Amino acid sequence: MRGADYVIKRLGFAVVTVFVAISLNFALFRLAPGSAVSNLARVPHATPELHQALKREFGLDKSKGAQYVIYLKQLVRGNLGVSFENQQPVSHNLWVALKNTLPMVLLGTLFSIVLGTLTGVVAAWRRGTAVEGATVTTALGFYSMPTHWLGLMLVILFSGVLPTGGMTNDFLINPSFWTHLKDLAAHIALPSLTLGLVLYGEYTLIVRSAMLETLGEDYILTARAKGLRPWAILRRHALRNAMLPIATLVALSLGYIVAGAILVETVFSWPGIGRAVYEAVLQRDYPMLQGGFLLLTISVVFFNLVADLLYFKLDPRITQ
Amino acid sequence: MSLLEARELNVWFDLEGGGTLHAVQGVSFALEEGERLGLVGESGCGKTTTALALLGLLPSSAEVAGEVRFHGEDVLAGGEESVRPHRWTDVAMVFQGAMNSFNPVRTVESQIVEALELHAVAEGAVARARAGKLLESVGIPADRARRFPHEFSGGMRQRAAIAMALACEPSVLVADEPTTALDVMVQAQILELLDGLCRDFGLALVLVTHDLPVVAQLCDRAAVMYAGEIVEEGPVERLYHSPRHPYTRLLFAATPDLADDGAPVASIPGAPPRLDRPLVGCPFRPRCDRAFGRCAEERPLLRRVDGSRAACHLNDVPA
Repeated sequence: MRGADYVIKRLGFAVVTVFVAISLNFALFRLAPGSAVSNLARVPHATPELHQALKREFGLDKSKGAQYVIYLKQLVRGNLGVSFENQQPVSHNLWVALKNTLPMVLLGTLFSIVLGTLTGVVAAWRRGTAVEGATVTTALGFYSMPTHWLGLMLVILFSGVLPTGGMTNDFLINPSFWTHLKDLAAHIALPSLTLGLVLYGEYTLIVRSAMLETLGEDYILTARAKGLRPWAILRRHALRNAMLPIATLVALSLGYIVAGAILVETVFSWPGIGRAVYEAVLQRDYPMLQGGFLLLTISVVFFNLVADLLYFKLDPRITQ
Repeated sequence: MSLLEARELNVWFDLEGGGTLHAVQGVSFALEEGERLGLVGESGCGKTTTALALLGLLPSSAEVAGEVRFHGEDVLAGGEESVRPHRWTDVAMVFQGAMNSFNPVRTVESQIVEALELHAVAEGAVARARAGKLLESVGIPADRARRFPHEFSGGMRQRAAIAMALACEPSVLVADEPTTALDVMVQAQILELLDGLCRDFGLALVLVTHDLPVVAQLCDRAAVMYAGEIVEEGPVERLYHSPRHPYTRLLFAATPDLADDGAPVASIPGAPPRLDRPLVGCPFRPRCDRAFGRCAEERPLLRRVDGSRAACHLNDVPA
């Protein structure tokens, strides 16, 4: 069965990729200059003994090889270690940050996918008209805007109308479920919009070129000759084929949702995973970094796998 | 009243760098029930553009003037809306052998069924059964219907495309280079198939090709196109034995003869004129071996000359 072969091959490939990424991450952070201990020991009257004690406590006195073996062993058991920074389990830290990031980035990405696909299809369908020109120019404009700049512009534009920082209004005491939800929606609007606007331009351009390529295919002419109406041609013959490259792009960008958006999270003080990883880099918080990158790797590899399987489902020509 | 008639068909394309290309220049011909017409000429002479114009299939960047009449009704008069009901039910089309007439992500069956259901010929299980029958009529086992186009060979794909064209029992089949890019054995099979189907179903055929032997084998009449216009049109034997236009004569002479080994392949020196500027005189004059003074000044019109039509001043000169 060729289909099963394909799936097994893809799965095996995904597992190997994750393992390689784990090992690289482990080595990478230890190659970086500076150390976690010198950060933590930066207190008045710190002695070399304190240094040694901290090193022992975090297991940094062992050889790199031994550390690696311990890391792998614990990882297999699902233990991501304890953050050097706040002494909490890494998995707990990551979970808190992820819970904050996911809704915001997911909303922004969905916005960009829907808007980008629509404008891309319209631009291709209305090729050579003013509609295409306006669509492409707008998309290019947003695509080329620096994220933080667009974020700041939106802050200027909407300050006073929408909250521009944080996730919730801390002055709401014991809010009802609906009040809380409304508050959250107001806070999520600007960061999501910023992210969505920056991402949508890319979708427009890629969807447009994929559609144009498809519309030039011979079977589109055949469909016209058969007497199909434009809408039916678009729906039954063009979209499905144009979706092939778009599906990959969507899957890949979903993979990066977990990475959060450092710039957006910084501008809007969003306590998400992008910021958590950024702070872990500053603190040389190895377990936190390894955990964050592991999450990112698994997410990217997983969605890549989804893209491959989707391709397999969408395109009957793929057999190996 | 003719089955299908083109009257003074003109097509212009806007060029990217400005200017227009007059791709089809006043083409007129008529096709009777069950008749087979070959449209021949070298690349770029406007034969494919003419074929596409018959079904209103040119891109929106093309400007079309003239009439295409089906049973006397001008199908192009009302734009897309007036021509769409005639597509596939009255006039169906088979494209180049190399072309992918089938959508690669859908089964061959579903694409034949699509045509059947669209024109309310059949639906559901009946339509699927009919798709199988159609495939069998072109020599493809019905159990292959559920396969995807890439699982078919080039020849099979072209057979399936022909089967799809016959789905709604059209009265005219327009075949645009149906055997180009297929190997010789498959070409012969496809031609035989077309021949048989036209006879069995009483189909009229417009065969667009640059391959003269194919026209001679398959068609009753032929129209020779040059620089966007028909320069000679008539019964195939007459064109072959007594051409009334030098281009027709030279074109037949340029067909290599396998039996006559050693003979050099004749060609017509020069190239067709550019069509993005007005033509003065006879378009073929620079390449003609019998041009004379009048050819440079006056464009010859297509006129009746014993049993065929030709556009050449030589026909006015007493032999």
